[in-house]
Amino acid sequence: MTRNLVYVSIIACAASLCYGFAAKDLVPVSVTVAMFGIAWIFLFMRSLHRFSSLAFGIFIIISLASLWADVSPVFAFTGVIFSLLAWDLTRLFQRLRTTNSPQDARKAERAHFVRLALVIGLSLVGYFVVPRIHVTLTFGAAALLALLGIWGISALVYRLRSHE
Amino acid sequence: MSRIALLAALIYLIILAGVGTLNGAMVALALPLVLYLLAGLWRGPEELHLSAERTISAERVAPGEPVVVHLTVTNHGEALEQVLLHDPLPAFLSVVEGASSRLVDLPARSSISWSYTLLGKRGSHYFEQIQVLAEDRLGLMVKRADLPTRGQLLVLPSISRVRHIAIQPRQTRVYSGVIPAHQGGTGIEFFGLREYQAGDSPHHINWRVSARQDDIIYSNEYEQERVADVGIVLDGRRRVNEFSGRRSIFEDSVLASVAVASSLLAEGNRVGLFIYGKRNKWTSPGYGKYQRERIMQALALAETGEIQNFSSLIIPRRLFPPNSQIILISPLSGGDVSLLSQLRVRGYQLLVISPDPVSFESRGLGDSPSVKLAARIARLQREVLLRELRHTGIQVVNWDVSRPFEQAVRSALSRPTAFLHAIQRGHGAGKR
Repeated sequence: MTRNLVYVSIIACAASLCYGFAAKDLVPVSVTVAMFGIAWIFLFMRSLHRFSSLAFGIFIIISLASLWADVSPVFAFTGVIFSLLAWDLTRLFQRLRTTNSPQDARKAERAHFVRLALVIGLSLVGYFVVPRIHVTLTFGAAALLALLGIWGISALVYRLRSHE
Repeated sequence: MSRIALLAALIYLIILAGVGTLNGAMVALALPLVLYLLAGLWRGPEELHLSAERTISAERVAPGEPVVVHLTVTNHGEALEQVLLHDPLPAFLSVVEGASSRLVDLPARSSISWSYTLLGKRGSHYFEQIQVLAEDRLGLMVKRADLPTRGQLLVLPSISRVRHIAIQPRQTRVYSGVIPAHQGGTGIEFFGLREYQAGDSPHHINWRVSARQDDIIYSNEYEQERVADVGIVLDGRRRVNEFSGRRSIFEDSVLASVAVASSLLAEGNRVGLFIYGKRNKWTSPGYGKYQRERIMQALALAETGEIQNFSSLIIPRRLFPPNSQIILISPLSGGDVSLLSQLRVRGYQLLVISPDPVSFESRGLGDSPSVKLAARIARLQREVLLRELRHTGIQVVNWDVSRPFEQAVRSALSRPTAFLHAIQRGHGAGKR
């Protein structure tokens, strides 16, 4: 099941961004995105899972670029969500292959999907709440907030990595 | 790059791009990644306080005999969401029932027990540890540990029985056995005649010869039979044992070594073993069942190695004095003749049991005309090599491994070879 969900996620991620670019008449970019999607599927089929991080990074950058190119934010967000799903499920697929107990694999798969559904659900809620909040900031205040955010993320990453 | 670092880098990128372009929708793209990161922090593994116990149903088994391994892992600390418990196994063992790796939840102060069944080929394995990998559900926080356990499994080589191997060492030991000692005395085989001495059994008087003499009575003398020192050398050079498609004739060599050692020890001989492979290892000579066990254990661990030739093969004189018997078990290569000749010159009686690599490899290469031609050329080269060895006085058993070992040995060694007959006849004539 995880394998099929990886394919679905990659296709959904590439398709949403392709459609977004194509709707803005950026067909060559759209084709390039589709090629990236096919390449990611091919790498996954060949069990070259170490490239999934690279593909994830590329699709996040494409999602950012799509906003810069005036593509609808919904497509960019869908691209981010599905690329995150594909990247996460690729790792789950690798982890499940390390056990030779099918019952354990099924149980772990279910628990993982629940956690993932929680993350995606909260993200969707957050994404639809954010446009309703209108705050006018100066560039300095925005930069300060960004720095604060970066400091928070850094503290979180430091905490996570110190446990490894 | 670790997953956390990648996520962090992408979040920084999104935030900086959003602030740089003053685009709130762009900043909002970071939300799923931040939540994913926070989910990793939530209920990630803290310190690991685990212990493991192992029981194994048998420590010494024959190849193909099932072994049940029972494991219990106890968590003495906090709950762990997702733990991979992996019992590493070597290539010669395979799991036929159950699982050697489990992916489980371990609640606080709880245990998990499970069993799995193994089948093994020849080899030895120490179950030293269980590898633990604890992580959160999303795999961001990872903790590793090795839990020490005890246990050993020895899969001994298959046993092929050979009734008798007719060796003819030049020198024997003082204890009685079944190997002709080239000395007159009590025995079964006629050895020669000598003048009757007081105390000789009347049954031993040779009346026919005595009748031809005037005043002398002759008694028959029989060849003494004693035990001997035998050194078995198992050739584990990868170059001569392994072929295309990961096929190896080494297992057949090991099987021959077991059969030869068992047969010679059963007849009371003093047998030692030298494995010339990955680790050059001598099993010092000894007698009886204890020595057989030592040899079996050494053979269970035998592996092929990268050594190219026999240049570092040294037979210690302290263990095997000149004139004792050396049995080399090797597929042989062209460069081996000189070393084997040197051993002969030093006085060792040599017997070479050679699993036939040509027929072994040609069987795995199909039936095309080119394979047939190549096999024919290789067979001719091998025949020349074996003939060269025989000319230097070395006994050679060319064993096609598709035939049972006992059959090959019986046809080649159950009676003394022609030249040994000639030696015996020479001795007999001298006595007369």
